[in-house]
Amino acid sequence: MASPVSVYNSNALDTHISSTSRESLKMELLADVSLLPGEERIIDKETMYICPFNGAVKGKVLITNYRLYFKSSDADVAVTLDVPLGAISRVEKMGGASSRGENSYGLDITCKDMRNLRFALKQEGHSRRDIFELLFKYAFPLSHGLPLFAYVTQEKYAENGWSIYKPVEEFRRQGLPNNKWRITFINKKYELCDTYPTVLAVPFKSKEEDLSRVAAFRSRGRIPVLSWIHRENQAVICRCSQPLVGMSGKRNKDDERYLELIREANDTPKLTIYDARPSVNAVANKATGGGYEGDEYQNAELVFLDIQNIHVMRESLKKLKDIVYPNVEESHWLSSLESTHWLEHVKLVLSGAIQVADKVSSGNSVVIHCSDGWDRTAQLSSLAMLMLDSHYRTLRGFQVLIEKEWISFGHKFASRIGHGDKNHADQDRSPIFVQFIDCVWQMTKQFPTAFEFNERLLLTILDHLYSCCFGTFLYNCESMRDQQEVRLKTVSLWSLVNSKMEMYLNPFYTPESGRVLYPVASMRHLELWVTYYIRWNPRIRHQQQSPVEQRYKELLALREEYLKKLEALELSDSSPSSRLANTPNTPTASTPPQQYTQLQTPL
Amino acid sequence: MLTGSKTTFKVRQMLPDIKERMLSQSGVNARSRDVFGLRCLPGECVLQRAVMVRKKLTAREGRGWVSGTLFCTHFRVAFVPQDSPKADDNADPVLLGDHDVALASIEKVVVVGPNRTKLVTPNSSLKFTPEELVLYCRDLRVVCFLFDRLTPDAQVIEITYTIAKTYQPPKPGSVLSFQNAALGSVEMKQFLSNRRRNTHMNWYESVSDWEQELERCGATGWRVSSVNDRFEMSTSLPRSIVVPQKVLDTELKKSFAHFNEGRIPRWCWRHPRGSDLMRMSSFQNNIYHEKDDIRNLEMILFGCHSSLCVVVELGEELPSPADIQLAHSRLRALCLGDISTSVSVPDDKWLSTLESTHWLDYTRSCLRKASEVACLLRGGHLTVALQEADDRDMACVVSSLVQVMCDPHCRTQQGFQSLVQKEWVMAGHRFYSRINYHRDNDKEEAPVFLLFLDCVWQLLSQYPSRFQLTDDFLLALHDSIHLPLFSSFLANCQRERCKRSQNIGQSYTPVNGWRDVLHPDSSSDPSDPPLPSVWDWSLQYSKHRRDRFTQPVPPIPPLQPLLNGNLNTNPDTHRLTDTIPGSVFLLSRGTFSCPANLLPWRSGTSGVYKKSHRRAPSSENVPGLERLLKAWALAEFPQGLTSTSAPQGPLDPFEPLLPLLMGPCMGLWRECYLRGALHAQAFSHPISANHPHPVERLAREVQQLKDKLAQVSTSTALKPPSMMAEPRRTDTNLNQNTNNGTFLFPASRPQSATMARAAPPPTSTNHQTSKGAPPASAPPSRPGHKDNGGSNKHTFLFGHSSVAEARPDQRYYPAPNNAKLPKNNGSSISS
Repeated sequence: MASPVSVYNSNALDTHISSTSRESLKMELLADVSLLPGEERIIDKETMYICPFNGAVKGKVLITNYRLYFKSSDADVAVTLDVPLGAISRVEKMGGASSRGENSYGLDITCKDMRNLRFALKQEGHSRRDIFELLFKYAFPLSHGLPLFAYVTQEKYAENGWSIYKPVEEFRRQGLPNNKWRITFINKKYELCDTYPTVLAVPFKSKEEDLSRVAAFRSRGRIPVLSWIHRENQAVICRCSQPLVGMSGKRNKDDERYLELIREANDTPKLTIYDARPSVNAVANKATGGGYEGDEYQNAELVFLDIQNIHVMRESLKKLKDIVYPNVEESHWLSSLESTHWLEHVKLVLSGAIQVADKVSSGNSVVIHCSDGWDRTAQLSSLAMLMLDSHYRTLRGFQVLIEKEWISFGHKFASRIGHGDKNHADQDRSPIFVQFIDCVWQMTKQFPTAFEFNERLLLTILDHLYSCCFGTFLYNCESMRDQQEVRLKTVSLWSLVNSKMEMYLNPFYTPESGRVLYPVASMRHLELWVTYYIRWNPRIRHQQQSPVEQRYKELLALREEYLKKLEALELSDSSPSSRLANTPNTPTASTPPQQYTQLQTPL
Repeated sequence: MLTGSKTTFKVRQMLPDIKERMLSQSGVNARSRDVFGLRCLPGECVLQRAVMVRKKLTAREGRGWVSGTLFCTHFRVAFVPQDSPKADDNADPVLLGDHDVALASIEKVVVVGPNRTKLVTPNSSLKFTPEELVLYCRDLRVVCFLFDRLTPDAQVIEITYTIAKTYQPPKPGSVLSFQNAALGSVEMKQFLSNRRRNTHMNWYESVSDWEQELERCGATGWRVSSVNDRFEMSTSLPRSIVVPQKVLDTELKKSFAHFNEGRIPRWCWRHPRGSDLMRMSSFQNNIYHEKDDIRNLEMILFGCHSSLCVVVELGEELPSPADIQLAHSRLRALCLGDISTSVSVPDDKWLSTLESTHWLDYTRSCLRKASEVACLLRGGHLTVALQEADDRDMACVVSSLVQVMCDPHCRTQQGFQSLVQKEWVMAGHRFYSRINYHRDNDKEEAPVFLLFLDCVWQLLSQYPSRFQLTDDFLLALHDSIHLPLFSSFLANCQRERCKRSQNIGQSYTPVNGWRDVLHPDSSSDPSDPPLPSVWDWSLQYSKHRRDRFTQPVPPIPPLQPLLNGNLNTNPDTHRLTDTIPGSVFLLSRGTFSCPANLLPWRSGTSGVYKKSHRRAPSSENVPGLERLLKAWALAEFPQGLTSTSAPQGPLDPFEPLLPLLMGPCMGLWRECYLRGALHAQAFSHPISANHPHPVERLAREVQQLKDKLAQVSTSTALKPPSMMAEPRRTDTNLNQNTNNGTFLFPASRPQSATMARAAPPPTSTNHQTSKGAPPASAPPSRPGHKDNGGSNKHTFLFGHSSVAEARPDQRYYPAPNNAKLPKNNGSSISS
């Protein structure tokens, strides 16, 4: 029933499987799943997939070192599953050898991408032991001393995605260094801060030894550094971690002076410090040596943004999963959705970013931090930059934004996602990056013509956030990545994206630089990202392609057709066309192609 | 003139002031213009104006602010932007400019001062100079004006008072004065009576209108009966009703008494697979002893399918009018916030509060019911009869939704207008009472029609490429409901409408105690302004707005005329052949049953029944029917599959648009309900307003190409007419261009239609000749002959001819079917 769509659906993930091989899949069961380079078959087995939408489906499951693949053998219910092992967070045995009831013995697989899978196996002869053990081993390679798949595969792409972000070039694009801000390489060997990148922009007047002293007063040495500068008013966004104030209320003159330098750089009357946390949490952090900037910081104001911590976000998304998979409610949907608080969290993140962007665009410099400055801080700074700088709304610019604010500044992807790690209950896991992408999606919904990339890019990013097929999201920080030689030994996700750019372009993009986008951060205008969170529901599927996009394609086809007909007519009879050419408002034969280019039609 | 003293802003009496304050009077000179650029309607005078005012733009208008001059007249609050282009002084009057608000649609006036907010009533006095003026409208708009420091204080205060005093307080009589303010001048009356009627839609006023619909649907076995021509059979039914051909009028007459309000089963629409949709009111508990009665009743009910009839009871699962009213008022309060205190529901409770209004639940239940009916009809060859106690509320919703889902024609602007005309206006939805213009009958008030518009919007948002009409159109219709100006909505049924517009001296005593109280101001007062129809859009909106009512290029697949009502090409059509003749099932809560008392006359022990039907209906073919519904429950949408692969793939145009009803798929019509919500604009900054969406730009370009193609292909001459796509589109263009025959009857036009039209001698098809006659040659003032079916001496009093007499100008019947006349010629030439 759902087969063609489900194949289409998983497309987002496996764009490198050519469509022809997909066709042949239907012919031959599993024989010719086109494997990635380095991908190897581990085991396959007759099994029963307990589909929550169609009931039990007989078929065969194939496990490779990259994916779990299932295809039904029954032609009537054509179900195909294609799950990268990286998306699996938990594998459990279901039922025992003596369990009664149909399909009660098998495997229960929990995925990170909002779905669960159940397979039933034959009870006799411990038939699941081998498949369970192998699946467990390859789904969590790091826990078993195996390499992540990104190190195994070596797909070749026309583009090298690792070259998309060059810190110095990006600073130069922003107009740095200038007489107020300088680039420092003090962290070249990760000695100042092991979770920061090597290249940092700091106030021109600050000395290298100041930086070290400030680092001593900031949690994990994450000192305030520049993320973005406004071209006209020179207001900046700086990011950092919390000051180590502690219970005793310690002060640090160097830190205070350093913030004053940031303020002075463009003569902001008052430097605004955005603490992303709720104020209670900030106070509570004093007990563990942290805290927030007090009155001793002159010419600075502190604003709490009330965004909850990683644990709250994790629980919220878990609740959301409960109401969208497998069954979706009908009449109590809205109150169930409200009780997950997911949209409310999205709203708080967005409205925090809006406040930041508004401050900066009105000429005031800001400093953002949370506790460690790698979760909420990354969300706020990157979203504010997305609102302020149209460059980040282009396909390549968005990649730069993620590389810069998330990857290089040490968002702990490895801990938050748990790549290749069997410990599914790890308290460090949290969907912070998913939430960020959700916020971006909300913005694309509200400003459908402002972004060069489309929803498919966001889906692809989230799919490969888990897949472990690319090196982009692996490890917690740059120093780890250097140590693991990620750039040398793995491929960047942007290699895939940039060699198939046309797939990810928004046909409606109308570039407009210099405009600040302020999305409406109200529950009245936020929507649940149905095509991500509920995409496994076959009923949702047929809306996968945006109807507007579809209409655009139809119109393009129509235009082609008319242009051809016109051309044919004009060729067949030259006299009327020459007559037409004289009339002023009918375009001559050469104009339509011109309009074509104006319209920016990347499809 | 602006005498408001600065010290006390006591409100003065309005009336003595009016003349004094008429800053500009345009009564005599119909095309006058206020010096500040407001184009007044004939007879409209500016009571007050304020300069240097800024108006807040909504997201749809591009957000931000625009500055200009604010006016208050007897009829509207108008706003003219500073740099707005000068309108053509000779153009026809348009009631409302793009930034205007009719006084009648204002619900509350609120001013915002330095530190406070105040609700302004006609009697209140202001103790501060407002900085902001906010108009809360009945149609859920919130219009916000900001006074600049340069606006003179006196002007600010005066215009606030003037608006507060002039806008419609909810009391009887105010509607009439509002109508007079808008349409009451001699020039306006004349202008209205000279108005050409939209001929691209079906008005369902005459027998031939209905015949045209029967023909369009390819419905055979039905005829149009004029048995209710004098509203003697049923006061709330229209003059013409469609009944099975085999039932004679004399037989028909006996069945009215068996139905509530005499609303007997009537035909609405035929599905291309041959099923018929009917609607009726509930049965009267009469005693059915006459054998003939029963035979007639069953013949009417089964229509032309003798075997199977499914009665869909609408009472149980659908909201009652009271439910709808409650839900809508909650939704209003939620979306606008509490107006006077500007307290609104906290954002974190928004979703659950929205849920608790039940508005979306009701939308869902209407769509679900309509989907069930659409799936049944798709099965082919059965009759589905919608039954509702009075057949005047939810039956309108469901029957028209079914048609929107199944019939691509109903998704065009003209087709949709015809549909509303058929299933609402003519079918006797009590617009007048449900909208409660006078605010004098709160018990009856219920925005049933707005619920329907929301349902259509849900379909539109799930299948935008399958509609030719746009949400701008739905929004305009939504807003027009709140203007008490249109004949379409100012009556409860055709009878009332006729009374008002035709000044019938005599009135008919309702038989059987059918209540039908006419409202005082709809009685015959010749001085009342003639009311336009709501479909006269050019009277209401600028061309700029109207251009957005339809998609520039109609969606693919092209909207072709229906085939002959027999679309049996699909192999999976479930023919329920084994059905015992006369089986009646009840569809309720998604299951079928045949309760003994479904048809009251069958339930008794009367021997008559047993003679006519040897076996009682069994549930044998229930599985067959349930299979029809199951297809929907499983959500197997073929178009879902094709849409991903080939946009132009073969797509059955009559495949119903079945909506997804899961929680996340039902949306809130934000552009309508939340357009006034001020917080929505809190952070928005101005952007370049004239930036159409790329799809629109492309669509316009395609349209240009198409026009050019049409131009080129005609100039190259002798191209086969089949080159031209979409006859409907070209029709509109070519009305001015009648000499070009090829456009008017594309090859795809069914031949049978042409023949049927051409065959009868002109005398018997009076309407057509009169309509078809070129306006110059023959003024259609011919009272003479009447349509086929049962004419009597009264008919022409009520028939079209009398309408034409009431509006003596012959242009009222323009060249509606200019198209038809040359066609007749054409076919006779060709044959």
